[in-house]
Amino acid sequence: MRAVRRVAAPRLLDETVDGGLHLVAVRRPSVPMVEVRLCVPLGAGLVRHAAGPLVLTGAVTAGTAHHDRASLADAFERLGGALDAALDDDVVTLHAFGLATALPTLLDLVNEVLTGATYPADEVRAERDRTADEVIMDLSRPEVQAGEALRARLYGHHPYATPTPRPEALRRVSAAGLRAIHPRVFDPRGAHLIVVGDVSTARVARLVAERLGPWLAGAGAGATPLAPLPPVTPGGIELHDRPGALQSNVLVGANAPRRTDPQWPATALANLVVGGMFTSRLVENLRERHGYTYSPHSDVHHGRPGSTLIVAAEVGSSVTAAALVELRYELGRVAALGVSEEELEGARRYAIGSYLIRTSTQRGLAATLAAYATSDTPASLVFEHPARITRATLEDVNAAAREHLGPGSMATLVVGDVDVVGPALRALDEVTTPSA
Amino acid sequence: MAPRASRLTLERTVLANGLRVVVAPDHASPLVGVAVVYDVGFRSEPPGRTGFAHLFEHLMFQGSAHVAKMEHARLVEGAGGVFNGNTRSDLTTYYEALPAGALDLALWLEADRMGAPAVTEENLANQIAVVEEEIKVNVLNQPYGGFPWISLPELAFDTYPNAHNGYGDFTHLERASVADAVAFHARYYAPSNATLAVAGDCDPDQVVALAERYFGPIASRRAPVAGPWGEPAPREERRRVIDDPLAPQPAFALGYRTPDPVGDLTHHLAYVAAASVLGDGDASRLRERLMHHDHAVTDLGCSIGVFGGDSLMMRDPALFQVVVYHPDDVTADELAATVHEEIARLGDDGCRVDELERVTAAFAGGFWQGVDSVNERAIMLASLETIHGDAGLLDELPGLLGAITPAAVAAAAADLASQPVARVEIHPAPDGEAT
Repeated sequence: MRAVRRVAAPRLLDETVDGGLHLVAVRRPSVPMVEVRLCVPLGAGLVRHAAGPLVLTGAVTAGTAHHDRASLADAFERLGGALDAALDDDVVTLHAFGLATALPTLLDLVNEVLTGATYPADEVRAERDRTADEVIMDLSRPEVQAGEALRARLYGHHPYATPTPRPEALRRVSAAGLRAIHPRVFDPRGAHLIVVGDVSTARVARLVAERLGPWLAGAGAGATPLAPLPPVTPGGIELHDRPGALQSNVLVGANAPRRTDPQWPATALANLVVGGMFTSRLVENLRERHGYTYSPHSDVHHGRPGSTLIVAAEVGSSVTAAALVELRYELGRVAALGVSEEELEGARRYAIGSYLIRTSTQRGLAATLAAYATSDTPASLVFEHPARITRATLEDVNAAAREHLGPGSMATLVVGDVDVVGPALRALDEVTTPSA
Repeated sequence: MAPRASRLTLERTVLANGLRVVVAPDHASPLVGVAVVYDVGFRSEPPGRTGFAHLFEHLMFQGSAHVAKMEHARLVEGAGGVFNGNTRSDLTTYYEALPAGALDLALWLEADRMGAPAVTEENLANQIAVVEEEIKVNVLNQPYGGFPWISLPELAFDTYPNAHNGYGDFTHLERASVADAVAFHARYYAPSNATLAVAGDCDPDQVVALAERYFGPIASRRAPVAGPWGEPAPREERRRVIDDPLAPQPAFALGYRTPDPVGDLTHHLAYVAAASVLGDGDASRLRERLMHHDHAVTDLGCSIGVFGGDSLMMRDPALFQVVVYHPDDVTADELAATVHEEIARLGDDGCRVDELERVTAAFAGGFWQGVDSVNERAIMLASLETIHGDAGLLDELPGLLGAITPAAVAAAAADLASQPVARVEIHPAPDGEAT
């Protein structure tokens, strides 16, 4: 095995500051820039009724007392950066970046948006219509349709099962409604602020207190936690019709351990062996042996209320059942027979190396810290990841594979042309076709 | 606010067999980025073999003289690295990012396949199937698939190298033979037709020594001359309508010519600046007017390039593009007229100094974000060395863009406004509902 030069973990600022804000900062002087991510968790009510938060992510940058949308965008670009907001599941993220020397001005502008977004009525009307059009475009993509159907299949009545807000709901959002939810969405209490760049952590702490003070002073009660994700009901194939589809989206999902779970490193390694890297069994089988698909993959999604393993492949319509047979075979094989010592060591080196690569840029490290924070995982675990991966034994990995990767614990969903793929799938398993 | 000057240290050399080597040492992380860029892309593929350059890129991962199928991936990932490749109009790129200790391995692997990939009937058939699934997932089974990156060049250009679909026609892909692959490799994968770039935690002398050891023995052969691909600009407007039953709402793309990005870089950069002034970010003129003032479009952007490639990583001719997604209560004619009006206004009245300051600052920020990744840095260095013969251009680009004057942007816009435009329109399913 080739030695990887050991790098000392950087000094990590990880503390709760004024207003109940969780501040995480790391100095990373690789380039003269800085990344700022404000991630705010939403309560169950807003997750279930996400039309408001979704329009809000477009409208929050539409104007303040001092800037209209164009002059705000202009101000950030002059700092060598940009500002944008996005909604993912149950988290709204305000992402800003720019030259490191401009951090004070950048935080002033962020504070101005957080405390003074005005939601002009005509801007909100336009933004909600535009968001509705964007959602219509998004929902026309097969992988988006499939992902939404899988969430419903996996999560039952949990807020995570809530579909993307529909155009009708989006077109009902009003400026007054956005002004009302703004303080609830952007409550500093329980929010995570991640700052990574060519700035010392002491300076970050001082500037945050100084420049975001007005926003921090308005803290509320914080978002209520979401109930844990329910256990997945395994079995069967849920088949959704997409007439004329040239490919089927095949998805398989199950509960997975959280990053804080002692079993997580072993599960991550078992997942890499089965489908989380190019030299995985699924890629070797489905792509390199059979040519059924371009890019089969298996990933674990970590959220606040729990973690989910999702295996996905877009496969040619005529080979849909054959691809599902191979996919379940590989999951069954790893669960029943485990992984080899050689596979484990390859996956272990990949896990550590790809982690170093992923976190080597300011943007990559900030995104990783944000992902940990928004799944309620301590930031220190980001830097302990290589050590945790190193400690997992073959027995740990095989136990994790048996417990979490077997097809018996998974739900299966296919989006494809029912007339083409239905008969062969029915020969494999019980098929249900929910009416749209 | 002026960013500090770049600190990229570059070492450049050429091996006896013609392989160009660029090294950019930097010890911020214990990683190296390795890129091998070949001077071949869609434009060079033979008639009747559309998609072959990209198919061949897949074949380069199927094994070589001393590397079995899947072994390239197993060795790179097993060393803690990530890898991939991509094919564009003028370049085919292979890259790895790895822990610094695996540099030796990456260079050996790249040299082994530059020497001779091992293409078999079985691997070829397998990768044709994989590429066809790739085309389905990215184009045929998607709303707006191939728009505008395949459809706009088909309309805006007349000659085969520039106009044809680089992803390829299934009948052409299925006709590809092992003999085609051997001939393509012999012609285009000569050491003198490639650049190796290494960025990150490395010692330049050691990189050059390793390059000599692994790539040096590959026999020298003459590289073909790439291009010229230039062709006369269209003399009248062109319009093509594509019915897309998967698309839920209309869209259109406009294509204009630009000056040669290689032979006339300064002039070309004025068009890059014009694209930003017009359609990059919410402070840009077209987005401000059409999205946020008229509320007439869902999304809008301006860029220069073809087939998804950055215009600085390609040769002439490049396309200046305006891409618009819009609801069906407004017509493409009306919107295109407004776009034209704004381009003409920029040509007539010029832009403000502060607009250019915005563009320059944003470009510098984007530059720093790009070079923060050893991977990106290696790819950009190898691409610029291959296309412009000068990897050092990477460092100079922010300054060159910063030196563009309002008058130059105005002249660029005036030229764009005077051109007959090529317009591709996407018309959604008649009932407006995608399946």
